Amino acid sequence: MIKGKHITVFLLVAVALSLLLAFSAGEFRLPGNDQGYEPPQPIAFSHRLHAGELEVPCLYCHSGARKSRNAGIPPAQLCMNCHKSVQAPFAQVRAEAAAAEKEKRKPGKIVSPELRKLYTALGLDDSLSKDPSVTPAPVAWRRVHNLPDFVYFDHRPHTGAGVACQACHGPVEAMERVRQHSTLTMGWCLDCHRGTPAAAAPGGGHSHVTTDCSRCHY
Amino acid sequence: MKNKRYWRGLSERENPQPDTAQPEFAEPPAVDEGFDISLSRRSFLKAAGFSLGGVLLSSCGRGPVGEVISSLAQPEELVPGRAVWYSSTCAGCAAGCGALVKNRDSRPLKLEGIPEHPLSRGGLCAVGQASVLGLYDDHRLRAPLSAGKPCSWEALDAEIIRELDAISRKGGSVRVLARTITSPTLKAALESFLRRFRDGRLVVYDPLSCSALLDAHQSAFGLRALPRLHFERAGVIAGFDADFLGTWISPVEYAAGYRAGRTLEGKPARQSRHIHFEPRMSLTGANADERIVLGAREVAAALAHLALDLARRAGLPAASGALPACPIDAGRLRGFADELWAARGHSLVVTGANELSAQLYAALANSALGNYSHTLDLDRPSFQRQGDDGALQSLLAELSAGRVDALFTLDANPAAELPRPGAWRKALEGTPLVVSFAGRVDETSALARFTAPDHHPLEAWADYEPVAGLVSTAQPVIRPLGDTRPALESLSAWTGNRRPALDLIRDHWRGNIYPRRKGAGSFEDFWTSTVHDGFAEISVPAGRAGAFRPSAIRPAAPPSAAAQPHQESPAAASGLQLALYAKTGLLDGRFSDNPWLQELPDPVTKIVWDNYASFSPDAASRLGLAQGDVVRLSAPSGAHLELPAHIQPGQHDGTVAVALGYGRLGTERFADAGPRWLQGRPTVAPGMRVGKNAAELLAFDGGPISFDIGGVSVSKTGARHELSCTQEYHSLQLPERLASEPGETRDIVRETGIEEYRRDPSAGNKQEHGHESLWPEHVYEGHRWGMAVDLSACTGCSACVVACQSENNVPVVGKDEVGRRRDMAWLRIDRYYADRDGGTDVVFQPMLCQHCANAPCETVCPVLATMHSAEGLNQQIYNRCVGTRYCANNCPYKARRFNWFQYQKEGRLSNLALNPDVTVRMRGVMEKCTFCVQRIQEAKFEAKRLGRPLQDGEIRPACAQSCPSQAIVFGDVNDPGSRISRLRKDPRHYRVLAELNVQPSVGYLVKVRSRAGNGGGSEHG
Repeated sequence: MIKGKHITVFLLVAVALSLLLAFSAGEFRLPGNDQGYEPPQPIAFSHRLHAGELEVPCLYCHSGARKSRNAGIPPAQLCMNCHKSVQAPFAQVRAEAAAAEKEKRKPGKIVSPELRKLYTALGLDDSLSKDPSVTPAPVAWRRVHNLPDFVYFDHRPHTGAGVACQACHGPVEAMERVRQHSTLTMGWCLDCHRGTPAAAAPGGGHSHVTTDCSRCHY
Repeated sequence: MKNKRYWRGLSERENPQPDTAQPEFAEPPAVDEGFDISLSRRSFLKAAGFSLGGVLLSSCGRGPVGEVISSLAQPEELVPGRAVWYSSTCAGCAAGCGALVKNRDSRPLKLEGIPEHPLSRGGLCAVGQASVLGLYDDHRLRAPLSAGKPCSWEALDAEIIRELDAISRKGGSVRVLARTITSPTLKAALESFLRRFRDGRLVVYDPLSCSALLDAHQSAFGLRALPRLHFERAGVIAGFDADFLGTWISPVEYAAGYRAGRTLEGKPARQSRHIHFEPRMSLTGANADERIVLGAREVAAALAHLALDLARRAGLPAASGALPACPIDAGRLRGFADELWAARGHSLVVTGANELSAQLYAALANSALGNYSHTLDLDRPSFQRQGDDGALQSLLAELSAGRVDALFTLDANPAAELPRPGAWRKALEGTPLVVSFAGRVDETSALARFTAPDHHPLEAWADYEPVAGLVSTAQPVIRPLGDTRPALESLSAWTGNRRPALDLIRDHWRGNIYPRRKGAGSFEDFWTSTVHDGFAEISVPAGRAGAFRPSAIRPAAPPSAAAQPHQESPAAASGLQLALYAKTGLLDGRFSDNPWLQELPDPVTKIVWDNYASFSPDAASRLGLAQGDVVRLSAPSGAHLELPAHIQPGQHDGTVAVALGYGRLGTERFADAGPRWLQGRPTVAPGMRVGKNAAELLAFDGGPISFDIGGVSVSKTGARHELSCTQEYHSLQLPERLASEPGETRDIVRETGIEEYRRDPSAGNKQEHGHESLWPEHVYEGHRWGMAVDLSACTGCSACVVACQSENNVPVVGKDEVGRRRDMAWLRIDRYYADRDGGTDVVFQPMLCQHCANAPCETVCPVLATMHSAEGLNQQIYNRCVGTRYCANNCPYKARRFNWFQYQKEGRLSNLALNPDVTVRMRGVMEKCTFCVQRIQEAKFEAKRLGRPLQDGEIRPACAQSCPSQAIVFGDVNDPGSRISRLRKDPRHYRVLAELNVQPSVGYLVKVRSRAGNGGGSEHG
């Protein structure tokens, strides 16, 4: 009796595992490789729109990439450089203006619900004045690219050597939501570091590419 | 010439080769019986299946969920991931060294010295380095306390104001008891606070009192001041039981000055000469060129004889009275006097004795030598010690008589660190209103009615004037972690006009400091530049010191200790002299709750996590004591203490020495300082504290606090208490089985005398022979990193050890693990003794991974977890390491450390002090010194970013940066102009165990002592 029960449990687990495998076969990766990770963000910020359509340079927001190991997430205040004037998609604003003209009224204020989250974070209301009922609280973005704790990657030498952001991060300007483009595994790093200097440094600022362990591990 | 033989412990003195009965390496934690690890086939398959399933499941996950929180508005100078350095002043003690605080993402991580600072000149001691850990101490008070219960500041203020109003109405008396205050604003604030009362007084004290030194200047010069000492100008230094390189007044300043006088520059090479008299082996005595071991009373007698000899030569009238007999050969003492006399105006006589007559004799000697205004500056005196033991005595009497209505204790813990703690406790209990400003519950605040916790120094604005003419500032580098409030602000609140500390400081500066500025500019300019630099030099009012009054020297009053019956046999079980001293790192015990300082080995004894009673080997054998036997010390006052015995070479036979600053409230928590495992023993037994508080034994009868107690009797209790000492293992000596001839030893430290050095700069050194190598030589095309350690400059102060711990996330392992040879320090200071003419010589040698070119560790690693880099670094790759420990067993320098346990735990507040630039190692991996590779990478990237080549001296590992005496030089050996390249060609340069052909990248410079016939060296190999 007991034996039979064990066999049942074993079979159930086996079936469950093979089902799981079958479902995820297309995306099977080794542990630690999160290629393709594309988490939803608290604000539906579109890189396609900003970096692609509007051609905002990557370093305008991620200025740390040039002077720090971290590229950094821009502070909310930086968004306000544009979004204190731009509060909704242009098409919507135009549609409202047209409707208002037709209805002979003043156009109503349109604030995109996503941008409202930004204003709330800064403690502002729709008219961008301080809202005393709201405590400013920074936006908690989801981290997309994450290296293990024993690896130290530094953006500085890469941007300095003229490596394009897309070389590692992929076509961000085409991504609605940012996705981990590369595997970010050590082999992937070394493919470049072992490659020709020209491949490593398309900008030509290349001086010395090392494959010393202690370059990244310390 | 016979080779000088070095040994690290008494067993090595007998047998120079490592004890072969003892295992050479730490043993793995034993698996306890009953814990069955034998695996049946069935359970193996179960485990394997589970693991496979786990792997499969984990690879189906949707990636990590982590958050990145960006700031709302980012200050321009802050870039995430980049360190910002703020100038500040170290508040570890009253010395006022300049400190730069490293801040990463708004979190202070490390303190380093300000290189331009006139006092500390870039160094910072172990205490200063460790103070950052105190910020993240989860035992700090988060809110004010009223009768031991948390309360609000409003409630506390209301109650205190009501009480104070009542006191001021009835004309009551208010006292503030504080340790030395060097802050001009705080001092002014206290004075104005106390002026509100008819009888308000500030009593300043120092647990490590220098009251007699100040009193001596009062009677000899009419000015109660501490002269600023300039060791850099002293050619001959005579120290009388003053631990000025370790714990006395301002050790970093003094060590920097001492080093400046010993650079061997000039032709012929010049180096100061240091003669030291002392009863116990102190760090300073260990560095002396000539060390005379005498009991405390004999040291005082020698000083008196020397001073009177010098006074006679200078023609100063001084009553000699009835002096005790000269304790050393009169000719020898005259020889020392000759040397000092020849160096008139650039010599220095210092004594650490807190005894008026001794300090007067030192003043007499210095006056006779014309040293005042040269090596001792009374026109720009030091404020680093201001304590007045007389005032302290009257305060205790007042309190005990119930004549004080309110007592405020500021940075003071009289119930633990002063003599007669029991009397203080009773006095505190009997005082109607006691308010403590302590940041955590200590012995005094536990008895106080109110505790108004002060900020941690890193959270607060503060100002300091450690020596006349030098003001410095401290700025907050983090938001206060708890609901604490600066003492300045509390005082202003209780006078009815609460103002922020910054406003108070700026107001005081505008009125009192700014007018004394040098140079032009507005107040804002002056303030901003001072905060930016951390310090400013200002003018000093004309000196008020009068001329030396020889009449101050009265016939030597018998010192309090001499009142005790003098015993014929000094080493008899009773009648020993007790020397109470401060341990480097722990000082008066104010930081005894800091685990880094508790685990820092004492520079001389190398014992951790304990205080003990030190006996000389002869005294111990006469008393029948072995290391770790618990003895009972009974003072004539009736106070007694039970402590384990430690046998200390180089100590006076009639002296027993005990460190102060132990046995403090709050150290019970270190019961779980180490890992928990089956055979693990707690660092402190349940309910116990780390060490025993020896303040009980201090004498305080009328005069200044006496740290030397006569007539102490010692008896064995029969109990044992194991002491953990780091110098009983990690021996670099040749194991007996490998010796080619019996008694063969390796030559690890090298030294010579100044005369020999002048004749031959390579004296004491030995040429390296060329070796045939089995391996092809490495080629270093770019940089090649190397280090040189000057054994002549290293004082053994251990600042580098704590700096390394702080920089590299080195864990604390607890007393039991250290005793089991599993300490984790990447950098240790090996301390070698050698017998010489009946005395004991000491050499300190910082020992770390030598980054060998032919590294023995690299060839044995089966998984290539330790590799050689293109720049000469021996790299340790934690994520590759599987923990075979072959590398550690093959390392001739014993520089590798294995993580036997998961030492770092999640969820501790102190984890905020971890350096984010260095991996936190997990259980089961090997680690060791990396030459601070994170700093190398950072400097290289910055240079690359700015498009300039790396400059020599730009990269400084934490140890080299912190060193008060600049003993460690790091740099690029491939750069012919670098300092390290020049040092490598120095005739004093040698490499430890070069005969193994491991080709280390770390070199050492032969120690040069200022004495003839040093008897060191290894001319014969």
